[in-house]
Amino acid sequence: MEAAVAASSLRRTYERRRKDAVVALDDLTLTIARNEIHGLLGPNGAGKTTLVKILSTVLLPTSGTARILGHDVVAETKAVRSLIGLVLGGDRGLYDRLTARRNLLFWGSLYKLDARTVRRRADALLERVGLAERADEPVERFSRGMRQRLHLARGLLHEPQVLFLDEPTSGLDPVAAVAFRRLVRELRDEGRTFLLATHDMDEATALCDRVSLIDRGHLLLTDDTANVGRILGDRECVDFVHEDDSLARALAVLPPVIDVERLDDRWRAHTVDREGSRRVLAWLVERDVLTGRRAQPTLEEVYLRTVGDRGMRV
Amino acid sequence: MTYLTVVWRAFQLQALLSRRSPAHLLILLIAPMQTTSLLAMTLQAHRPDAVATAVIAPGLIGLWVSSLDYAGRVVPEDQWAGRFTPMIAAPVPLTLVVAGRVTAVVLVGAMAFGESWLVAALGFGRVLTVHNPGVFAAAVLATCLASVGTAMLMSGVISLSRARDVLQNSLSYPFYILGGIVFPLTVLPAWMRPFSHLVFLSWSARLLRDSVHGTAHDWPLALATILALGTAALAGGMWLTHRLVNLARHKGTVGYA
Repeated sequence: MEAAVAASSLRRTYERRRKDAVVALDDLTLTIARNEIHGLLGPNGAGKTTLVKILSTVLLPTSGTARILGHDVVAETKAVRSLIGLVLGGDRGLYDRLTARRNLLFWGSLYKLDARTVRRRADALLERVGLAERADEPVERFSRGMRQRLHLARGLLHEPQVLFLDEPTSGLDPVAAVAFRRLVRELRDEGRTFLLATHDMDEATALCDRVSLIDRGHLLLTDDTANVGRILGDRECVDFVHEDDSLARALAVLPPVIDVERLDDRWRAHTVDREGSRRVLAWLVERDVLTGRRAQPTLEEVYLRTVGDRGMRV
Repeated sequence: MTYLTVVWRAFQLQALLSRRSPAHLLILLIAPMQTTSLLAMTLQAHRPDAVATAVIAPGLIGLWVSSLDYAGRVVPEDQWAGRFTPMIAAPVPLTLVVAGRVTAVVLVGAMAFGESWLVAALGFGRVLTVHNPGVFAAAVLATCLASVGTAMLMSGVISLSRARDVLQNSLSYPFYILGGIVFPLTVLPAWMRPFSHLVFLSWSARLLRDSVHGTAHDWPLALATILALGTAALAGGMWLTHRLVNLARHKGTVGYA
């Protein structure tokens, strides 16, 4: 079966006057199976949006190829555009002075939907994204979360097979974000494929079947979300919560402990093996520290370890 | 669904946007003032032969302002508002959307014709008698069509320009002169006239005035020229819009975000 997305050796550079070209994507190869929710993670300037733009035909690659359900994004632009939906996050992208319904009616016409079909689908989608009661209000009165939901409804109007979501839940409150993710899962269950570009590790962990991590235009890894911790090796570790730094220092000199590091809200002791972890847990219990547990690196840790040296640099 | 339907939907969209945007309707506020000024000067100078110019000029100015200012903003505003990217990602060519929207913008400008007529009649008691009403109606229609083509061209030129505001601010007055809107081209220096003949407004202004006075003897040529210049502008505008999209896809300038 044809992959939903197949990018091969994609490269995109941006020319600059009297300066070297900026390489936004470099030799990126990625395959996304049908019916998959694929997370695209990376810091600002990593190349996520460039990749989404190339796959959605709004940007041409400098070299390499990309196919959507077998159609080349450069040579078969028209076919690709009918198959994809592009959902960009943020407050912008809609006609603010028009109502939600009017917005959808216009955007539907760009996909050659007849008036009756677009009206029927707009009604159904507004209901589905929870905007039916506000459908006839100008978008300028909408909150960010409501706009995001309207963006998604717009992206779904022509019933695309593959959806590209770029930071779809940024700025949403937790309840709205959970509802949004539920909706994405429902749509996946209907047979759609998603490429989700995000900074939100919780979102990627909760939603994605597989994730790809890119930085400076390079694909660093692609793996099942559940297994992505393996990138850091099969390292044993024990997490625990304790206020006293001296306890951590004492733990660090124990034979099975490689090192102890401070994470945001807890300590992490890296051990030589499983037996070492058992001994560390026992040592903690002896000192009345009952918060210890064996742990595996999370997606966030993988992300931070892989690109965490970037700081604020882009 | 035909491409014409897309143009119609884009027209409806712009009509709604213009109705909700007071700035788009400023032309309709300015046209009566322009008519008042021009008519007052004409009457004070005891030039009844120039009344037609004073009444027709605000309509032509309205069309030009709508083509230059408002049609020119259609694409840049979509770019600034982040609507350009999803629009490019849709299968329908952007040219059709722009064509529908500039048509609506131009029609708002065309309403200035009716306004100036009313101001002359109700405010000054001067009802313009048209000696060749058929030619006059055809001239108004051709002028509106040529304005749509020109608006498309201006939209492309302004969208591709890096100095949009400068361009929009500086292109209005020269075209009032080259278009012979407020005075006949015969008073211009001879070397300027060939340039004037490339501006559809010059043919429109003369034909409209001549049809009022009953002297539009060469109306077929004038009408054909207006339509030909409008068609050329439309073709140029469509090409520029297509080029805008291609450049944006090549250079990565689809959106400002």
